Amino acid sequence: MARRMVKYLCCEIIKKLKMKKITHFLLFLGIILPLLVLSTNLKAQQIDDLKKEQDTINENVGNLRDKITGIEERIATAEGDLAKLTKIKLSGYIQAQWQHLEASNAYPANLFMIRRARIKFTYEPVQGVVFVLQPDFQPGNITIKDAFAQVNEPWLKTFSLWAGKFNRPNYEVEYSSSSREVPERSRVIRAIYPDERAIGAKLEIAPPNVPLKVQLAIFNGNDGISINNPVYNYGTGKWDNVTSVGQNTDFDNYKDLMGRVTYAFKLGKIGGLTIGAHGYYGQIKANSKDVLNSDYTYDKSLENVGKGVKKNWVGFEAQLYFDFLGGLALKGEYIFGVNSTPGYSGSAKFTSSSTSLKNDTLTLTTLTTTSVNNAPAISRNFNGYYVYLVKNIGKRNQIAVRYDYYNPNTKLSADQIGTAKWDAKVADVTKDSKTMEGSDPVVVTNNQSKTVTVNKLSSGVNDIPYGTWTLGYTYFFDDNIKFMLAYEIPMNKKVGTVDANGNGNVTSSYTVNGDPGVYDYSNVLKQNTLTFRIQVKF
Amino acid sequence: MKNSKKIWGMMVIIMITIFGAAFMPAPKKITVKGSDTMVILAQKWAEVYMKSHPGSVIQVTGGGSGTGISALINGSTDICNSSRPMKQSEMNKLKDRYASLGIEIPCAKDGITIFLNESNPVKELTIKQLSNIFSGKTRNWKELGGPDQDIKLYGRENSSGTYVFFKDNVVKTDYAASCQTLPGTAAVVNAVSKDKYGIGYGGAAYAAGVKHCAVKKDDKSTAYVANAETVKKGQYPITRYLYMYLRNRPTGDTKTYIDWILSPEGQKLVTEIGYFPVK
Repeated sequence: MARRMVKYLCCEIIKKLKMKKITHFLLFLGIILPLLVLSTNLKAQQIDDLKKEQDTINENVGNLRDKITGIEERIATAEGDLAKLTKIKLSGYIQAQWQHLEASNAYPANLFMIRRARIKFTYEPVQGVVFVLQPDFQPGNITIKDAFAQVNEPWLKTFSLWAGKFNRPNYEVEYSSSSREVPERSRVIRAIYPDERAIGAKLEIAPPNVPLKVQLAIFNGNDGISINNPVYNYGTGKWDNVTSVGQNTDFDNYKDLMGRVTYAFKLGKIGGLTIGAHGYYGQIKANSKDVLNSDYTYDKSLENVGKGVKKNWVGFEAQLYFDFLGGLALKGEYIFGVNSTPGYSGSAKFTSSSTSLKNDTLTLTTLTTTSVNNAPAISRNFNGYYVYLVKNIGKRNQIAVRYDYYNPNTKLSADQIGTAKWDAKVADVTKDSKTMEGSDPVVVTNNQSKTVTVNKLSSGVNDIPYGTWTLGYTYFFDDNIKFMLAYEIPMNKKVGTVDANGNGNVTSSYTVNGDPGVYDYSNVLKQNTLTFRIQVKF
Repeated sequence: MKNSKKIWGMMVIIMITIFGAAFMPAPKKITVKGSDTMVILAQKWAEVYMKSHPGSVIQVTGGGSGTGISALINGSTDICNSSRPMKQSEMNKLKDRYASLGIEIPCAKDGITIFLNESNPVKELTIKQLSNIFSGKTRNWKELGGPDQDIKLYGRENSSGTYVFFKDNVVKTDYAASCQTLPGTAAVVNAVSKDKYGIGYGGAAYAAGVKHCAVKKDDKSTAYVANAETVKKGQYPITRYLYMYLRNRPTGDTKTYIDWILSPEGQKLVTEIGYFPVK
């Protein structure tokens, strides 16, 4: 019984416990399930939200990708444009200076000026093809200094062809004014290569691993040369000198040839030596009927207007670079040959008439005058040289001394200058041709013709040799700016003969502020120039 | 009175200190600029030299050979490192500015290495093939025995001497427009190591993490990989000198430094870095 009771009690307890568990379970289910459902719903919602968020992010990423693609395209376009711009290079320099001129005929005797203001545009559309344009912007006068195309052969990298306006092949001509140690080029170079540049074509041969350079050029040959063409002024009855400067147009059919060869030696650790030679072979139209020799003797006459006169010379150059407590350079060139100046031949015809009555004779006079104005072309033998000594002191200082000499006429000694002259056939020829008609009154028709010839050329100022010392000091402020102080001392050779009063026969007159003056070249004239220059280069 | 003396004494001491400091010889700083190819070598030289020469200061920067030569011309560096010889136009600028031809000092040798990704099956190339690759005439690895994939070109910027040397001696024409230019050989190596179809060039010292491609002069020649032996014997076809340039003959501290670079001690570092000594 007791066992049954215990069993019953146990069963009841178990039942109750089970009931409790079930109740708890049900309670648990009742609480958890809704929570689970809620949680599931929440999760589903969260997932939806996340999906939406993901969609938004994806959309944003897509947008950003599109934007990046757009930016990339823009960058690619910009890079393309920039690449084109990198083919254009700009460089240039400005030289502003103050000068004090000691020459008596200089007015103003001190002045500020812009000596050079150049911008060089270099365009290289494809490798090896270069276009260069360099104008010079001087106030009130813009000129083209360089304008050429250069084609470099791509295989051997040895040959290049130039066409346009560029420097003539010569050391001092090609040496940039922005690098030169003194303000101006030597007198001989300025005389034979006026304006430095010329229009033509050039073949340059420079093998990449050989220190040899050969330049062969052909030019019009009249660049920078002034050619006079006098024109008769019927109003004043005088001849006006009209000067034509050969810029961009040729003056004649003659073409001038030029060649230059240089070879550079290395002198071990000491430095290097470059030697070279150049030659000029050309002609220029005489532009006159008469041609004179260097000593003013008559060479040819008549029918020379269209014929050529010689421009032939050769030069030998050397540049020694020596490392002695910093850079030291000794550079020089000697040039000699024949240079010609064209003359001119002008004529003008005009008539005048008059009548006179005397007794029973009526005279009708017609005078036809032919004025002939000739200046002969002249071929002068010349020589000249220059020597530079340049010493750099540290990184910023440079001193330079140059002596240059130019004798424009080696065939005349100092005392012959002023005396030698062309034995010009100055002639006034008058011819009469009278005809008489009638008897009362007698009519006389007097046709006269007159030829007035003006032929003049005598030796003088253009034949005087000059030796010039130039001292220069340059301070390099930085890579772009430099200051230069230079003193130029030109010394003319004493020429001509002196009369009893001490006056020479080679003179030139001038007027300063209404005061006339005379340069007498039987003395060494003071013509020194002090220059202070600032150069900015970029 | 006593105070006044003290003040004067102090002032004298201060003045002496100021003037003393002003006139005391400052350690001479030598600036070195130029070739990126040489920058690791130059930095190593400077580091070791400064340790063994207390008081000396050597400042090394890269930028490329062209940049270094420009710096030499404009006076902003004492020594220029260049992985190519100075051009005639650059020498002319030096002549014009300093009346000097400059001093050229070969200080190491280098073999320009062709870098390929390690997975690239191509093992050797001729100079002609390299020219075609870098000029854009050959565009697919298939043409060279590799996978049918476009060739990706990596090269240097045009201020680099390596760029100029490789162009003048290997490509011999313009680089392909698709050639990606990178600042330094290390960047080229890095790019090729990550690009399975990439090819690049640069100094031998940087060739870690990529495969060295053997190079032969032409189809009939033997292909060589750049190493000390092949470069020294002249077998590897793309070798060059690495130079130092100066405006004038070196003097003082600069001369001492250059003499040290050319000494066995300096040349030993050349080998350590991965280049080849000149002596």
